[in-house]
Amino acid sequence: MDVLLSEQLLVSALVLASLYGLVALGLNLVYGTMRLLNVAHGEIVMIGGYVAYWGFSRFGVSPLLSMPVAALIGALLGGVVYVALFRRMLRESRLSVRIEANSLLIFFGISIILQNVTALAFTADQRGYAYLDRVVHVADVSVEENRLIILAIGAGICLCCAVFFRYTRAGSAMRAIIQQRDAASLVGIDVERVNMQVFVLGFALAALAGTLISMTQQISPFVGFPFTISAFVIIIMGGLGNLLGSLVAAVILAFVEVYGVAIVSASFRSILVYGVFIAVLLLRPQGLFGRSIAVR
Amino acid sequence: MSRGSGIVLAAIALGALGLVPVVASDYTLSVALNFLLWSALALSWSLFSGLSGYVSLGHAVFYGIGAYVMVVCWQVLPIWSAVLLAGLAGGVFAFSLGWPCLRVRGPYFVILTFGIAEFTKYVVVTIEAGLGRTGRLLIGTPSLAALYEAVLVLAALSFALFAAIRRSRIGAGIIAIRADETAAESIGINTNATKLALFTLSAIIPAMAGAIMALRATYFEPMQAFSPVTSFTIVTIGILGGADAPPGPVLGAGFLVLISELLWARAPEIYMILLGILLVIFVLFVPEGIYGRLHLLAKPARR
Repeated sequence: MDVLLSEQLLVSALVLASLYGLVALGLNLVYGTMRLLNVAHGEIVMIGGYVAYWGFSRFGVSPLLSMPVAALIGALLGGVVYVALFRRMLRESRLSVRIEANSLLIFFGISIILQNVTALAFTADQRGYAYLDRVVHVADVSVEENRLIILAIGAGICLCCAVFFRYTRAGSAMRAIIQQRDAASLVGIDVERVNMQVFVLGFALAALAGTLISMTQQISPFVGFPFTISAFVIIIMGGLGNLLGSLVAAVILAFVEVYGVAIVSASFRSILVYGVFIAVLLLRPQGLFGRSIAVR
Repeated sequence: MSRGSGIVLAAIALGALGLVPVVASDYTLSVALNFLLWSALALSWSLFSGLSGYVSLGHAVFYGIGAYVMVVCWQVLPIWSAVLLAGLAGGVFAFSLGWPCLRVRGPYFVILTFGIAEFTKYVVVTIEAGLGRTGRLLIGTPSLAALYEAVLVLAALSFALFAAIRRSRIGAGIIAIRADETAAESIGINTNATKLALFTLSAIIPAMAGAIMALRATYFEPMQAFSPVTSFTIVTIGILGGADAPPGPVLGAGFLVLISELLWARAPEIYMILLGILLVIFVLFVPEGIYGRLHLLAKPARR
């Protein structure tokens, strides 16, 4: 069992954890504030990946410089989706009664549209590029530079978000809406404006994560879906709407996945992720750290 | 439409569909088979999800189990017994799943059903890989016409079942649960038993359909038999047609098969994009579905 003690595995798990943390954060924000189940979240990740890919392979732009561009595109997409589809839905009581089921179906439609528009535009081929894949030695660990960058940037952005939610007015407003939607509007928070900001921020984070992911793995129009699933496992495990909980859950899932695959075999990855998923839903639907909630 | 004229209409449609293999080309027959298959699947889905409001995103798991039972029983059991056994297996599977899963409500139920379907898929993939079987072939399956008639029977059965349940006491119970589960429980509806019974019933027909379609495909590949696309298509049909009355899913299936025939072979991406757009539009603007909308238009005076 030497392999389990290797630092290599630890670094892999940490890298995956920081990616998962980023992807799940955006998903959790959108769910927490508006009760919308964004199953198209992984497709935004995928689009971020394509931005970095085309930037690098067509124009020779470093993926690190593509990151703001990808975030901007994600943000724009989030704004458009909110204004075009969800503002109306959240206003109209007939539609917001079963908002979770309805939003899931709408986002599912968006997800199919994005996947197939991408497939039409760029073909369904797997695409990858090599960027900073030189192996460096840090202490006793050999690791590619790009993975260190992912770890640093991913963890850095998660930290920035934590500061943002803790210490800024906009961040506090978002947390207030997550905790008590009606009370938040009573104390003078412009809920619609914050909803818009959440869409912009959540989608931008997903696209950012996509650029990071494209540095180490190949992308295709269908690469986003597994990330959607992992992100759902994480936010349910961490507690829907619980931002800190989802960061902890991201670390847990990444470790379960990396070590589970190392112990058993790679073909068990899906069984493992879905197994954790089902177990959490059945045993602790309120999340690992959640108080018991009224299931609506 | 009164109940009597509805039954007459259904009988005429059934008779006409039964004659398709006699008069039609193989191409027309396979299109009609697809239409009946999706009708049967969407009707059985609506029986539970349409009436209860518990949206299941994992109906493909029953379809896949049916197909798996068929290939395992191939040349062990007579074909049509294997189809019945598949239905039984689907029902038993749903019954044992329903007990823990149906306590979970709302969005949790939706993603739980999806998770279970995917989990089961990967378990079957692993079992098959462990057995060293990558893709099983079925040689000497029944003719297209025979399979068509079998699927027609399934579609008719699920239509009749849905219509009967909807008018029955248990149907009234499940519709009450959709409106307000706590209130339904307080007026004496055994909500758990009602949900479990309908969830189990709704799994039998897709399992039998999966068994028959394994014969049609003449091979079994778990990634395909348990494909989540099947679940998504079923939900889309239910949303497009309307899942509250028996004609809804049939209209939805007809509509979907039509655009799929027009587009799928030539431009699969365009077909999928169109499907996505339709889904968004229907959820936002026509949540009652095609049939529900027609129904509202036909009876403005009563409302």
